[in-house]
Amino acid sequence: MSSDGIPGPDSEVALRVKAMESLLLEKGLVESSAIDALIDMFENRLGPWNGAQVVARAWTDPEYKAWLLQDGTGAIADMGFDAVQGEDMVVVENTPQVHNIVVCTLCSCFPWATLGLPPVWYKSAPFRSRAASDPRGVLAEFGTEIGADTEVRVWDSNAELRYMVLPERPTGTDGLDAEALAKLVTRDSMIGVTKVAPPD
Amino acid sequence: MTRKVDLEVVNRLYQKAGAVRLKMDIEPKFKPGDRVLARNINPTGHTRLPRYVRGKEGVVRRDNGVFHLPDARVAGDGDQPQHNYSIRFEARELWGGDAPATDCLNIDLWEDYLDHA
Repeated sequence: MSSDGIPGPDSEVALRVKAMESLLLEKGLVESSAIDALIDMFENRLGPWNGAQVVARAWTDPEYKAWLLQDGTGAIADMGFDAVQGEDMVVVENTPQVHNIVVCTLCSCFPWATLGLPPVWYKSAPFRSRAASDPRGVLAEFGTEIGADTEVRVWDSNAELRYMVLPERPTGTDGLDAEALAKLVTRDSMIGVTKVAPPD
Repeated sequence: MTRKVDLEVVNRLYQKAGAVRLKMDIEPKFKPGDRVLARNINPTGHTRLPRYVRGKEGVVRRDNGVFHLPDARVAGDGDQPQHNYSIRFEARELWGGDAPATDCLNIDLWEDYLDHA
């Protein structure tokens, strides 16, 4: 499909994917229903909208927030988001005093169950090296200014635990319920590279 | 023998498919608050001890529980279950005096990567 919506020749990547899919199916290594289920998983079922619901519940329910920060795995499982790459979760809270940012310096470990697959920049060598050594510089490039008095806390998720940031609830959201709040929460704010913007 | 990827394999991904935490009662070598030194080792094979923390001093923030040491598994040296810890390193310890005194980096390290400082 070309960018104007008119069907055109497939890109090289698309052709390669189609060729691989055909081969896997013909050799009986993969069932087509499994491919459909995998696409459904990452398109519709695992993604940042899950994490956003966790964040919104924590913003509106102090008991849940305390549970989430103490036992991220259990509290997230309570929402039903305990699928693959969410087996052992740690949730870290952003406050006016502490700003958390998550990186995987060795590869691209990411909490799929709550945030989906990682964005391309998260897997890139420049982000992986500079988020560790110069987090304030990286944050500034994302438009996120952190005060000199605020502690920047980097989490390198290179081992078996997966990390998610509980961003600060923006101002001007007092009247919003959890459903409306969840719509404000972005993937990037749960990685910790941005803050959640107030509603328009 | 390779297992065919069918619907059952995919659906298992919704059921804590990748859980790797071990329910083993192993005495931890370190406790929260301990000062530790990341070993300066340079293995040629797989390790989860990045170069930037080797030889640096940090503090145990939390005992994460018991997991297999990936270095040994990847090398085919069998299972070496041991505690893994969240270690806090001050930014200045890792990156020198120009780094902000307020900032820190936390990383999960296995027991074999650490000595008491």
